Amino acid sequence: MPKRKMEKSKALTQLLYGQFFQQLPFNVAIIDRDYNIIEANDNFTRYFGDWHNRKCFSVYKKQDKPCSVCTQKEIFEDGRTRVVDTVVADKDSRWAHHVIQSAPLRLTPGGPVDYILEITSVVTDTNQWQQEYNVLFDRVPCYITVIDEEYRIVRANESFRERFGDVLGQYCYKVYKRRDKQCPRCPAARTFKDSKIHQSEQSGIGKDGKKIDYAVMTSPLVRGEERVAHVIEISTDVTQIKKLEKEVLEAERLAAVGQTVAGLAHSIKNILMGLEGGKYMISLGLKKDDRSMIDRGSDMLDRNFDKTTTLVKDFLSFSKGRLPQLKMTDPNALVEEIVDLYKDIAGVSNIELKARLKPKISPAPLDPDAIHTCLTNLVSNAIDACLMGQQKGSEVVISTRDEKGKLVFEVSDNGSGMDYEIKKKIFTTFFTTKGGGGTGLGLLTTRKLVQEHGGKIVVESQKGKGSRFRMEFPRKRLEMLYRESE
Amino acid sequence: MTDPAEKNILVVDDEEDVRDFLKLALIEAGFTVRTASDGLEALEEVKKRVPDLISLDLVMPKKSGAKFHRELTRNKAWAKIPIIIVTGHARDDLGRADLRELTMSGPGIYLEKPIKPDRYVAAVKQVLGLETSAEEKDLADQVELQSELKNLIDDADPDTLRQLKDMLKKKK
Repeated sequence: MPKRKMEKSKALTQLLYGQFFQQLPFNVAIIDRDYNIIEANDNFTRYFGDWHNRKCFSVYKKQDKPCSVCTQKEIFEDGRTRVVDTVVADKDSRWAHHVIQSAPLRLTPGGPVDYILEITSVVTDTNQWQQEYNVLFDRVPCYITVIDEEYRIVRANESFRERFGDVLGQYCYKVYKRRDKQCPRCPAARTFKDSKIHQSEQSGIGKDGKKIDYAVMTSPLVRGEERVAHVIEISTDVTQIKKLEKEVLEAERLAAVGQTVAGLAHSIKNILMGLEGGKYMISLGLKKDDRSMIDRGSDMLDRNFDKTTTLVKDFLSFSKGRLPQLKMTDPNALVEEIVDLYKDIAGVSNIELKARLKPKISPAPLDPDAIHTCLTNLVSNAIDACLMGQQKGSEVVISTRDEKGKLVFEVSDNGSGMDYEIKKKIFTTFFTTKGGGGTGLGLLTTRKLVQEHGGKIVVESQKGKGSRFRMEFPRKRLEMLYRESE
Repeated sequence: MTDPAEKNILVVDDEEDVRDFLKLALIEAGFTVRTASDGLEALEEVKKRVPDLISLDLVMPKKSGAKFHRELTRNKAWAKIPIIIVTGHARDDLGRADLRELTMSGPGIYLEKPIKPDRYVAAVKQVLGLETSAEEKDLADQVELQSELKNLIDDADPDTLRQLKDMLKKKK
């Protein structure tokens, strides 16, 4: 080709490229290895302002140092193109959601990457489909945010913005909790790490300054890349539910008090009956001049006055410390303590006391003294049941386990068991089948202590086969009580 | 006229003091009295000799009053035995259902603990149809009326209760 023609063609090419570069309907920039913007089109300048002698992170993110996770750096290393969703700020620091397509540029074919071409487009042009999607995204009754690896909020739906404010580009921990650094137990951090879905319950502060309890789920937002660049956080407001849960818990605890009072009333009626009887005997004895009858009456009075004293004492200890003193406790250690304590007593009667413990059960906030009392009551009942059953090979087993979010203690025996009538009444004050051997307060106390922990006690029993007492403590409730007590 | 000594009464209660007290009151009134400390023992006593009246506690270990009564009614001869219920559980969850069952099906009335001896004896005589002194008669009538009224009050709606209260207040 003649030299002139070649030069003309080269000029044309340059002109074409130059105009093409300028007129592309995107913001286009070229970046070198030191993050410097060395060329950009007019669109770019109009949007981001003057970029000369500035670095990409300063222009895009208004930062004074490179992003902790840098797409450019990766492209310089592996030479592959990338498409990234992110928030960037325009020249007036208005943050907006963008898609950045980055491609490597090589001066020598097959050589190292010398520059990166970046095409940035605001994702605001929406068609009908996208509008519908947006309405859905915005109005869905949960708070949705997408965060990048720096925990900046890249997108937030309207529900979120209404509750937490307009927060695009801000750090999520700042927005959710007004913290200056990442939250403890952050589920998003775990998702970034393992690409899996995680959830947790958290408390944050809304833009109105009010506390919000929310259940958050985090899920990786991956578009073909291997690593997780974004995480979507979906939160449900559980403030009301939390409040209701608390009310239910409170109601149950009050019910325990009510039952106690009803039991107290019955005990007093029986004592009054005894006093009435004593009074009657004495007056009858006086009328008939019968010394022995006066003595019997006076004994009866004495006995029932004593009962009053015992009753008052028991109920004072019973009503003491309505709030359990919670501290992190190893359930298995508690059980082992009881086994040590009762092994010999059981052994004397040829009853084997065993522990069946779930290894590595997580500790829980419990009142160790209270649970100790509960287990003591249940185990001594179980031993009595074995003695009443008089079977050979009697055994009492204490076990621990986690079941559907509940911490479970179970005491089972193969002793006498109970029929329906007895089972119905075991939680009644002063109900005892042990004749003079029981006060009838053991199970009542146990139930009260369990209820104060937000738990419940369940009984299964078959006459002649044995009984199984299960104390169930929902771990969530324990944690709630624990947080309250702190 | 029937002599109380010919009437055989079975007192069933798990509290020894209550048993002794009721027994003494009845003996003083001239009755022949046996006792049992639970439903099981009571059933044995009934088998030995059918009593003319049973004074029954509701909540007891082994066999409760209601369960004992259910077994009584299965036997035609026993089903007719009049029963007086003496209980402290009339108004709590533990006794209410049992009491309802018994007062609905049984012939008896109920007395709520604590109870005065003369009132108790009067009620027993009334149920047995024994001649009573005018004073005793009044007492027994009162007991029965109270017992009936208590049942009615338990089932009454708030409006009726309000009217009743106003009426009683005016009387005072």
